[in-house]
Amino acid sequence: MAVQSDESTNLVGARVKRTEDGRLLTGRGQFVDDLVLPRMLEAAVLRSPHAHARIVGVDASAALAMEGVFGVLTGADIADEVEPQPVIYHVLPDQRATDTRAIATDRVRWVGQIVAAVVARDRYVAEDALAAIVVDYEPLPVVANLDAALAADAPRLYDDWPDNVVGNIEWSNGDADAAIAGADAVVARRMSVGRLLGCPLEPRGCVASWDPFTDDLDIWMSTQSPNLARDLLGETLRLPGHRIRVRVPDVGGGFGNKFDFYPEEIIASLLSKRCGRPVKLLEDRAESFVATGQSREVVIEATMAAKADGTIVALKAEVRTVCGGALGTVGVGPGWLSATMMTGVYKIPNVDVRLSPVLTNRAPMGSFRGWGQPEANFVNERLIELLAEELGIERNEMRRRNFPAPEEFPYETGVVFTYDSGQYGQCLDLCQDSVRESGWPQRLEAARAEGRSVGIGYGFHVEATAFGPSRILNLVGLNHSGFDEAVVRIDSTGRVTAFTGQVAMGQGIETALAQLTAQTMGVALQDVVVVSGDTATCPYTGYGTGASRGAAMGGASLMRATELLREKVKRIAAYQLEAAPEDLEIHNGRISVRGTPSIGVTLAEIGNAAYRRLSDFPADEDATLEERYVFDPENLAWSYGCTAALVEVDRRTGVTQVLDYVIAHDCGTVINPMIVDGQIHGGATQGIGEALYEELVYDDQGGLTTTSFADYTLPSACEVPRFTLHHMDTPAPHIPGGMKGMGEAGTIGGPAAIANAVDQALADIGVEVRAIPITPPRLLDMIETATREGGRS
Amino acid sequence: MSKIDVQVTINGEVYREACEPRRTLADFIRKDCGLTGTHLGCEHGVCGACTVRLDGQTVRSCLMLAVQAEGASITTIEGLSDGVELSPLQQAFHDNHGLQCGFCTPGMLLTAQELLEQNPDPTEDEVRDRLAGNLCRCTGYEFIVDSVLDAAGRQAAVAGDA
Amino acid sequence: MKPAPFDFVAATSVAEAVALLGERDDARVIAGGQSLMQLLNFRTAQPGTLVDVNRIVGLDGVRRDGDFLAVGALTRHAALEAHPVAREQLPPLAEVIPYIGYAAVRHRGTIGGSFAYGAPYAELPLVAVTLGGEVIVEGAEGRRTIPIEEFFLGHLETAVGPQELVVEVRFRLPAAEAGFGFREIAPRRHDYAIASAAALVQLDSSGAVGSARIGVGSAHPTPIRVNTAEETLIGRRPDAVALAEAGQAAAAAIEPLGATEADRTYRRRVVAVMVQDALAQAIERSREAGS
Repeated sequence: MAVQSDESTNLVGARVKRTEDGRLLTGRGQFVDDLVLPRMLEAAVLRSPHAHARIVGVDASAALAMEGVFGVLTGADIADEVEPQPVIYHVLPDQRATDTRAIATDRVRWVGQIVAAVVARDRYVAEDALAAIVVDYEPLPVVANLDAALAADAPRLYDDWPDNVVGNIEWSNGDADAAIAGADAVVARRMSVGRLLGCPLEPRGCVASWDPFTDDLDIWMSTQSPNLARDLLGETLRLPGHRIRVRVPDVGGGFGNKFDFYPEEIIASLLSKRCGRPVKLLEDRAESFVATGQSREVVIEATMAAKADGTIVALKAEVRTVCGGALGTVGVGPGWLSATMMTGVYKIPNVDVRLSPVLTNRAPMGSFRGWGQPEANFVNERLIELLAEELGIERNEMRRRNFPAPEEFPYETGVVFTYDSGQYGQCLDLCQDSVRESGWPQRLEAARAEGRSVGIGYGFHVEATAFGPSRILNLVGLNHSGFDEAVVRIDSTGRVTAFTGQVAMGQGIETALAQLTAQTMGVALQDVVVVSGDTATCPYTGYGTGASRGAAMGGASLMRATELLREKVKRIAAYQLEAAPEDLEIHNGRISVRGTPSIGVTLAEIGNAAYRRLSDFPADEDATLEERYVFDPENLAWSYGCTAALVEVDRRTGVTQVLDYVIAHDCGTVINPMIVDGQIHGGATQGIGEALYEELVYDDQGGLTTTSFADYTLPSACEVPRFTLHHMDTPAPHIPGGMKGMGEAGTIGGPAAIANAVDQALADIGVEVRAIPITPPRLLDMIETATREGGRS
Repeated sequence: MSKIDVQVTINGEVYREACEPRRTLADFIRKDCGLTGTHLGCEHGVCGACTVRLDGQTVRSCLMLAVQAEGASITTIEGLSDGVELSPLQQAFHDNHGLQCGFCTPGMLLTAQELLEQNPDPTEDEVRDRLAGNLCRCTGYEFIVDSVLDAAGRQAAVAGDA
Repeated sequence: MKPAPFDFVAATSVAEAVALLGERDDARVIAGGQSLMQLLNFRTAQPGTLVDVNRIVGLDGVRRDGDFLAVGALTRHAALEAHPVAREQLPPLAEVIPYIGYAAVRHRGTIGGSFAYGAPYAELPLVAVTLGGEVIVEGAEGRRTIPIEEFFLGHLETAVGPQELVVEVRFRLPAAEAGFGFREIAPRRHDYAIASAAALVQLDSSGAVGSARIGVGSAHPTPIRVNTAEETLIGRRPDAVALAEAGQAAAAAIEPLGATEADRTYRRRVVAVMVQDALAQAIERSREAGS
């Protein structure tokens, strides 16, 4: 399957077909469960059935005695051998620690917490052995939900904490209370977002190989962040970095879930160390619902106030993230981003936002595409519509009156962030024009004439991308960095290898980075190979592949490195051609004198000279062709977009169906529009799932009731509409190449747009959505209540 | 538990392995036969990533025991292409960006292949209805649906030429 | 999610299967396995022996037998959907079968397995309860016929004994003038239904309801025929009010499944809607059949 383009120009911005596809279409991909190492064993872990209990004793003797079982690990075995699971975000000044180790030592605080592990001949035997481990639990009172956690007499999850609150932080700008008191219209609501799972279709897993003679740890992980994983493995296992090599096979989707660092990586490593053989440890699907970081669940009480002309004067918000029984890798980072993005895309002079995350006996929270932003957007974009209605101003006119104008950028929001650039009004126009052109108003009228309940909703969002400026991130509490390093090499045949710290997980980064490198170097696409996913051979990425940073950070650093190498190539060519470097251009792998194309030399000839015939090589240059660049941005890059949803509600069943969907979007320079479209489709579908279908439901004893794909309902092809996309491409002013990220876009704007559409569909009876997901039972309840109360109150 | 000999033909090759009765067909294909293109996304029959064709019909290989497949002829993702030529359906997935991470792709391809054999000119809703048993978390389905419709169009064009 | 160990025997005759069920402790039949394999993978079922009936010759097949359509227990859902005799004699089957799981599941799943498992959301048991029918099982003592009214005993509980095998399911064929209707609601298309309803209605010459049979599935521990709902309709003109009353009567008759009160309330509400809609479809068809 040949890559189709020989051209080295116009690659950026082209719908280039993906270089990743061949192996994935033919069953030759290599995912973590496909790996088989010599002498490899397989492990499984035992998980707590209790939400809160003291561990009185663990008896694994029967399991250990079973044929085919090579070892068992309990909390007592590892207590002195490992550090607590790492938390890299410390964003609250008074943030309390929830030090828990990879295996629970004395107490379990959520259903699914690991209490023991078995390594055996294969997974079947390992699961047999789990059944033979006897754990003696002494149940403790369960903190099942937010209200229970905040109750005056609530049981505490950590005995040395005064309550269950992780900590507090507040941002103030102006005087919100005074502005609200003097406003012409005020809306105040308590809104909530359900608990979700990112749910990549490939479950998480790793294969660890620890050489007990040298203490070298060679680990394959289905991860988005190999460099972070190496650092955290080192910290937790007390190993120096140079002894650890993390490699990443094909990753079957990540969505943030595979950014985080999990106990299984530690357990597999220790089991391998003990038995001296490679150990594979995968979560299976049933485990995944409690074993992988959960996300989103939050209650936000917010007040928005405006003048009669629609000018927003104030926003107050209290954000309470419903954390689990311990902090995960990213701590309360997503809650922090919810709080700091509560102002959305609007100019709000008086702001008061507080964040106070709370622990409950649920599984820990982690990363998921959107990472706090959908929650804030849902509330913000609901409030502005409610406020517009109160004031009798058309909702998008209300939005327009409060956007910062293009010339007001960089725009300081008043809460931490400065938006680099944006033309929000134009983006809203684009979306509204598309809605009109698609005939939605007519469809709406026609449906209503038939007695059907159809509504149109909008949601405008900004997205934090190109994460991020390392020193600023350190200041706000990230115990890690945000830069990207890239290395590019030309070999003796003149072909290009680009080394990136980014990881391929389905988002097409191999293709996109190859396009950028090929165009920058002036070679054909098939003359570039992108290498990623190996800490021993690839450069360091401060953060990993997450936070919509792959194209912007990976791309910018690689582009700069390629530019440096291009200059070296030109100097060598200039020496050989007896020309000035500035007079040279590179096209399709050939360096020639501008205006005199007959005088030139190929990259293959330059490569040969650089590695094998130094007699043709300038004396003042080092042999070989390789450059490196580190890019640390001065700011995030803020993408934005407008989502419109056309939905129909069945008032008899409470079922909401999305009929049509438009997204207008600006993510700066687009490297590959086909890939960007696919990313937005996928994110939007997760947004639809978040708004209507998906929820992790806990019972009042901390038990998770949604533990299969029959209960946790990902949208299928039948639940999702076609998408109409419109792109703007305003380059990011501070990112080489002008790219902004866009991986999370679809998840952010969708829920508000859908909720707004449901409100409109049911406007005659006055239903007001305050919680997502808008499940049929919830919506039918609201419809029946509203109908009973006789229309709009 | 004693092992039982299982002989199946996969993509035209005969495989004979002794395995425990409890071994799923999926694990047999992946681990005993080394054909790791068949993926396990849920092991309870919902996600469709493990879909293979057993005597011509799509089945969930996680919801069958290997011993039940004795004597069967199976097609997996590895059997779709002809030599190093992608099948028209695989090519359509490539051309239409019908895959991202590729984990669901084997099941999608086998399901779509069967659909197109039964119904060479499906409507979009028929495609979506058939693919409802194959979950994808990356693409939002639109480009997968486009790929299947495109493949149907290509088949029709080839048939028209013939 | 790997099954616990078990012994496996592939029976080649009904007699052998029945004998194995008698000999082995804790033996369980596996047919299509589309439900049982889930339970095995989750280890919620850990039988000592699996008796595989897939290799029993002659256990599948479809034929008309008097007032019944007789379906062999090993008949796969996909085969039944496509079977010419079934399509001609009992069109509701081909109408309902596409709601069962996905194509790949219908290729393996069997009629006998579906009845023997007794899941409340299963579509064909609901059809049998609504139309009338019987299930033939074979045990050490020979065969016995269980009327469908006596077959489903509780949630995932049927009248099939531990050492018996379902060998045939018989659907009573409706009168030509009767109209059939079916509706279900599920979280996603092809999911297990939350509520389902089937109806068989015959109008008299005046256009009033002459006879009505109404079945509800998914929301109650078993598929259930709701006589109280039927009674509200007999002799009445089937207008919207009558249908709504029938729906309410059905909702009142069930003991809704559901983990929470909200779940149970919702199922009651949508059972009423499904019954109304299934009735409306059945009545429409009955009118067409009569005209």
